[in-house]
Amino acid sequence: MIRAEKLTKRFGDITAVDGLDFEIQVGQIVGFLGPNGAGKTTTMRMLTAYLPADQGRAVVMDLDVAEHPLEVRRRLGYLPENNPLHENLEVTDALHFVGRLRGLYDDKARTERVKAVVKTCGLGGVAGRKTGELSKGYRQRLGLAQAIIHDPDVLVLDEPTSGLDPNQVHEVRDLIRELKKEKTLLLSTHILSEVQAVCDRVIILNAGRIAADGTPDELSGSLQNKNRLHLSLKGPRDTVRSALASIPGASSVAGPAAWGKVSDAFVVESEASVDLREEVFRLASSKGWPIMHLSIEQLSLEEVFRKLTGSAEAGPGEGAS
Amino acid sequence: MTPVLQVRAVLALAQREFKGYFESPAAYVAMVVFYLVSGYLFTATLFLSNMATISGLAEAMPLLLTFLVPALTMGLLSEELKSGTFETLATLPLEDWDIALGKFLGFCGVHLVTVAGLAFYPVLLRLLAAPGAGLDWGEASGILLGLLLMGLMYGAIGLFASSLSRSQVVSFVIAFLFCFIFFMAGNLARFAPGAASTLMEFVGVDSHLDTLAKGVLDTRDLLYFASITFAFLYLTVVRLQSRRL
Ligand SMILES: Nc1ncnc2c1ncn2[C@@H]1O[C@H](COP(=O)(O)OP(=O)(O)O)[C@@H](O)[C@H]1O
Ligand SMILES: [Mg+2]
Repeated sequence: MIRAEKLTKRFGDITAVDGLDFEIQVGQIVGFLGPNGAGKTTTMRMLTAYLPADQGRAVVMDLDVAEHPLEVRRRLGYLPENNPLHENLEVTDALHFVGRLRGLYDDKARTERVKAVVKTCGLGGVAGRKTGELSKGYRQRLGLAQAIIHDPDVLVLDEPTSGLDPNQVHEVRDLIRELKKEKTLLLSTHILSEVQAVCDRVIILNAGRIAADGTPDELSGSLQNKNRLHLSLKGPRDTVRSALASIPGASSVAGPAAWGKVSDAFVVESEASVDLREEVFRLASSKGWPIMHLSIEQLSLEEVFRKLTGSAEAGPGEGAS
Repeated sequence: MTPVLQVRAVLALAQREFKGYFESPAAYVAMVVFYLVSGYLFTATLFLSNMATISGLAEAMPLLLTFLVPALTMGLLSEELKSGTFETLATLPLEDWDIALGKFLGFCGVHLVTVAGLAFYPVLLRLLAAPGAGLDWGEASGILLGLLLMGLMYGAIGLFASSLSRSQVVSFVIAFLFCFIFFMAGNLARFAPGAASTLMEFVGVDSHLDTLAKGVLDTRDLLYFASITFAFLYLTVVRLQSRRL
């Protein structure tokens, strides 16, 4: 559906996008995650045939972007960074305008489409307002409405929730979740909670390269070099402790100590490749100690992101997820 | 792959641009200035010479257009570049030619309406003048056609200037300088030596306006306006394409 092959873009000395390789399948919703300047926007601009690639190529729906730029743009919906809008147009006029430029010449059919996207994007209440007078949340909805006016199969959204307050972020995310049901979707963000909230897959970009690629869970898992088991067994503490330490593969045991809501929690560490849960179960059942709690600690995506990009900028999500 | 103009998309852009002019004070202000000055020139000649002619318009209107057209075109592309909406346009299924031409035609519409309004003067003369003091229709329509073509040429220059900068003011200044060169070249021609003089005469807009104002329709003059207009439209497209690098 979307494929990048050694995609490269330079601006003078800066290599903004450095030999990207990835493929996005039909129906996937993929998040480009990366600090500012990572090359997210530049990559999207190459996918949408706005910027030509210096090297490599981009393929959208089996069409080479460099060879068939218009055809690619016809099939793809794009929300550029910062959601630029024609300020002096009314909301419906803006949609009609983009619709006509997208080849929806038939007045009746276009009016139908405008109605449909106004409904999908919840713009009914502001349909007659000037774009320039809209709140940020509504502006974003209008940007999305413009991007889907022609009902594209592929949507590319550059930072669709940046600059919104938490409620608006929530609304726009709901809208994106609604859209993703039928579309292949690539969105970029520098907010971590966003990809966790809406994406099937995350591609972490850093300095124009892919730093990691996987589901949010995989990424959190793959970067741990240790597995940490948090567990609580109902039994004599000291015996439990030494029994845990004697499990083959357990490298260290700490506790018991309070851990979250669990009062007597032990932390058993092992190599990342070793899963001790079954051993723990066997031990507990042979000794007759009921398991009160058992969980594996995963690095949060945020920690993964920090590790990969060495960025201090990535704070916790800027909004509710 | 040969790019074919997407006529309906171009017209949609042109229509939008045309409407946009009348949603802001820009077009009105320009028109008020245009008609005030032309009205003054018209009546002044009328009463001074007591002749049924609009030749007074041919005197100062070209200079006025040198200011007004850049003012009307300065925002055409610079605004889109500044606000980022150019990226929206440029990622729609449009060629850069579609965008440039759509914008240009939007301006052409406004200019056409404005110049058409000048037809009021010869019609008025026709109604007022004594039957014997016949109005020279050839001269009158030549003058109007000259102003029309000159404005379109300036419009293409202004569009190009507007593609050069995100700032409307900068775009205006660039457009004005270009237009002024074309305006002055003819006037300065007589101070230049030999061949240079002939060249300046030809490059300058004056000589071509003069022929038209005599009611003479010469293909060389039409070609002059057409080729310079086209050249600046072409430069605009080249510029838009280079923005994508
Ligand atoms: N038009 C441009 N001219 C020069 N440098 C650019 C241009 N666009 C982007 N860059 C540079 O390319 C790098 C990647 O930018 P960008 O793709 O916007 O990153 P992101 O969207 O991830 O923040 C940055 O260093 C940026 O300064
Ligand atoms: Mg960006």
